[in-house]
Amino acid sequence: MTLASERIEISADPREQYELSLREQWGDGVPQLPATDDAIGALLDASPYPADHVVCVLPPRNGVATVELVAINAALAGVEPAAFGVVLAALEALSEPEWNAFGLTTTTSSVFPMLIVNGPCRDQLGIDYRASCMGGAAGRGSMTIGRAVALCLRNIGGQRAGETTKSVFGQPARFGFCIGEWEERSPWPSLAQRRGFSSDDDVVTVHGGKGTFPMADIHNDDPRDLLYLISKSLAYPLANMFLGNVENGEVVVAFNPIWAERFGTAFADVDDLAAYLRENAWQPIDLWPAANAKLLRDRGRVDSRGRVHLVERPDQIVPIVCGGLGSLHAIGLPSFGESTMQSKPVVYGP
Amino acid sequence: MSSSTIWVRRPTAPPAGDVSAPTFRLDRPLAGLTIGLRTDRAWRSWQLISTIWDQYLRRDGAQTIAVETGAQIGQPASSDRKQIEEFAGQVDAAIVGLGTCGSCTTFTIKDAVTVEAHEKPVVAVVCEEFTVHAHNVARHVGHSDMNVLVLPYPLEARPAEELQQIAQEYYPTVLELLGVTQ
Repeated sequence: MTLASERIEISADPREQYELSLREQWGDGVPQLPATDDAIGALLDASPYPADHVVCVLPPRNGVATVELVAINAALAGVEPAAFGVVLAALEALSEPEWNAFGLTTTTSSVFPMLIVNGPCRDQLGIDYRASCMGGAAGRGSMTIGRAVALCLRNIGGQRAGETTKSVFGQPARFGFCIGEWEERSPWPSLAQRRGFSSDDDVVTVHGGKGTFPMADIHNDDPRDLLYLISKSLAYPLANMFLGNVENGEVVVAFNPIWAERFGTAFADVDDLAAYLRENAWQPIDLWPAANAKLLRDRGRVDSRGRVHLVERPDQIVPIVCGGLGSLHAIGLPSFGESTMQSKPVVYGP
Repeated sequence: MSSSTIWVRRPTAPPAGDVSAPTFRLDRPLAGLTIGLRTDRAWRSWQLISTIWDQYLRRDGAQTIAVETGAQIGQPASSDRKQIEEFAGQVDAAIVGLGTCGSCTTFTIKDAVTVEAHEKPVVAVVCEEFTVHAHNVARHVGHSDMNVLVLPYPLEARPAEELQQIAQEYYPTVLELLGVTQ
């Protein structure tokens, strides 16, 4: 195995890699594992591509992400070889032009790539899709894959807080965000199936998500009434999608399995569900102060009934199913707006 | 390697080269030239400043062409970029702004690059907070020598009178950066 990247000799003391990462600004402040040739080699062996294969070019620095460099960052994050293909697929997805990586990696917004994994690999790799899947479940796949993608953006793309990325607040997902969909508890085809893949495919979908937006209810038994309130909650007045172009971006809404089952009784077809969510995701123009209202009117966002819809089309609201069985909650993953979700199949080595 | 040390690999990509695409200057008086003004519909402050500069440019004998952008992806972005491409072909020089957020600074620089690709003088206008970011983006896309005019920050929420003063104060600098002569 011949690698091109620079070799550095450090103390075998396990703390030394951490100290090195802090000195060189290679990290996220959390300890890393040493990227030794053994660790990198095991990852490369799990990929069908040679080490010098270019996966993508990562902004803002336009760093060339070779499989080798991605493997080094995956080794730092502790990605196991079987999961390496998910990291590569996620990077391929976020480098599609319509994901708008240059915009999203430099914006003042908190947005960051949120990975949603479908397929049999979820259980094999430890990708969280049940209780506390968005933080706290601690599955190896979720924590290491998400972090590896974030490290690639830092180290290959050159993303540095306050310098090359102007994100005002950032968000916890900037450490890494990778969840699965609880396909077995969903009354609808999985996200990947809806995007043209089969249930046997391992697929990663990358969403430019601004954060986790929590919703809760204990009073409603009627699925339509509850979905109505969810729609209204997604259409909060300062959502990015009221700032920009109505035809761009998607909002992901994660339903817990108990609610999903209830919603499935009212909407057997997920397209009908999305249409209902879209139809009710609006606010009256009178809600906004005059300055905002003028701009919304000037941009043709107000319909004949004085409603300002969050999105133009039903497919811009994307339901998924995940989370614990405690019910009572849904989570929105609001959109940056100027970004379109991208999906890629996971490709494994020999 | 001694038993008390290990070898690890550097995870960073090599830095981009510092070779810059050429920049251009008018080196002639303003009268009779066509100057382009690119605005972003997000920023009302910049729309006001560019409107004032448009008036000044016409007063000083130039013709002007204004374009407004507002999208980064999809059909609206395709339309915007096509418009910028046509704009770059029509003008003798251009003023492109405004970089006063992360992604809008990125797209300000990218649209300014389109003008430079037509071998025309261009000034990218950004606010002070985004100066380093603008130069970073310009360097990363191979245009590190691009003219960048830095305006005070923040511009939003300033009274119109202050914005008018800023427009007046910085107008000579814009002309100087474009290479306008007396």
